[in-house]
Amino acid sequence: MTFSGEFLAFMSLALVAVIGGVLLLNLTKVVHMVVALVFTFVSIAGIYVLLSAEFLAAVQILIYSGAITIVMLFGIMLTRHNDTSEPNTGRWRKLLVFVGVLGFAFAVYIGIYNLDLPSAPNDLHVNNTEQIGIELYSKFIIPFEVTSVLLLVALIGSIVLAKKDDEKEAEKE
Amino acid sequence: MVEELLHSEAGLLNFGIFFLLATVLLLVVLGFVTYAILAERKVMGFMQLRHGPNQVGGRWGLLQTVADVLKLLLKEDTIPKLADRPLFILAPVIAFAPAFMVLATIPFTDKLQFADIGVGLLYYIAISGLTTVGIVTGAWASNNKYALLGGMRAAAQMISYEIPLVMSVLGIILLTGSLNLNEIVEAQKNGWFIIWQPIAFIVFLIASTAELNRVPFDLPEAESELVAGFHVEYSGFRWAFFMLAEYVYFFAMASLTTVLFLGGWLPLPFLEFIPGAVWFALKFTAVIFALVWFRVTFPRLRADQLMEFGWKVLLPVALANIFLTALLKEWLNIF
Repeated sequence: MTFSGEFLAFMSLALVAVIGGVLLLNLTKVVHMVVALVFTFVSIAGIYVLLSAEFLAAVQILIYSGAITIVMLFGIMLTRHNDTSEPNTGRWRKLLVFVGVLGFAFAVYIGIYNLDLPSAPNDLHVNNTEQIGIELYSKFIIPFEVTSVLLLVALIGSIVLAKKDDEKEAEKE
Repeated sequence: MVEELLHSEAGLLNFGIFFLLATVLLLVVLGFVTYAILAERKVMGFMQLRHGPNQVGGRWGLLQTVADVLKLLLKEDTIPKLADRPLFILAPVIAFAPAFMVLATIPFTDKLQFADIGVGLLYYIAISGLTTVGIVTGAWASNNKYALLGGMRAAAQMISYEIPLVMSVLGIILLTGSLNLNEIVEAQKNGWFIIWQPIAFIVFLIASTAELNRVPFDLPEAESELVAGFHVEYSGFRWAFFMLAEYVYFFAMASLTTVLFLGGWLPLPFLEFIPGAVWFALKFTAVIFALVWFRVTFPRLRADQLMEFGWKVLLPVALANIFLTALLKEWLNIF
């Protein structure tokens, strides 16, 4: 059996992603969890690159590993930055979860084993940024615009919340 | 050359070639960092009517930085007792690795480039955001209040200034119609983008200085307020790694500015006989000099002024520039 470079890259990326996920669940300190999460995000971006979805990979890193992680770290540090989570699960629950995991793995295995993907058009990676743009602004223009309204609502909401706090504090003083 | 290598069979030989290429690039960058620090100190010295380093390595102090690095490597490696040990060790690595990764996509000349990625510009901006994670984890792991404050400032500043940085570049993307750095350079054949996009250039220059954590935006490590900011507790080669990351970004950002606004390797008219690499080096040096000049000239901003300036001045200006560029593009299409 020969290993192609793609296979090796996929294996190492997948390994890092899975290990990151497991560490995220098992570490006790919150900041450690976030760092584990960064590794998972970055390796998933790597898998996107292997699938020729460069734009998606760059955006994944930009939004998830860059912005969201920083905001999470920011929140953790500003609040209780020494917080740890203690595992408090009984034996029965562990057993049930294990059975559940086995069942899920079996279901996924069956599903994948009989899956027959129709061969997708092979030119999706050519100019994929341009293609995404064209699709977004022709076929999916309404969902796209609605999302922007949603973002605007979130923005205004956060400003309103921040303003309220200010006034209360001013009254206290 | 790299293109052929990427499509060839994977094997130990290929791995060796890639490893060798990366090592050569790393050595070049280390050489640059060594002499950039010396040049910075010299220029700052002259601007402040001093001599700068002039003892080690002859009259020009040519071995000063080498001696400094040797000293750093020989220093005791201290890790505070109450620090978060694994994160403390990991943080400099997380901070440095992206700094080196972004260099892969920058086209130094039309031949000399490591990875010709379709989304090169976005790649640079995305990967460079990862360094902040390293800085923040380092700051947190140190278990020191000054370090934590520095880390928080770094995070806030990086996020706030990343947005005007991206927005200022959007004008260029509009004019080029591509995110590929090679195509962006090619599009500047009839005029560099500093002429077509002067507003974007100014916004980009300011935002990039902020992203580099250099004076006047060096709040994360403001000596007079936070001792040394996020790397207070670091010493020896771990500290050197943080500094190295900073200067490698200095290199990368100056290269990016050259590629985006100053036409990369393209020559001035009637001077085509000078090779592209020389042109790139000249423009690159000019950008570096300007950044050093900033450092000597401007006082540090206050934290609240920094945020207000980023969100209330730079971002609207960058947005207006996008609007203007779109108008300009339509207007050019009419004729």
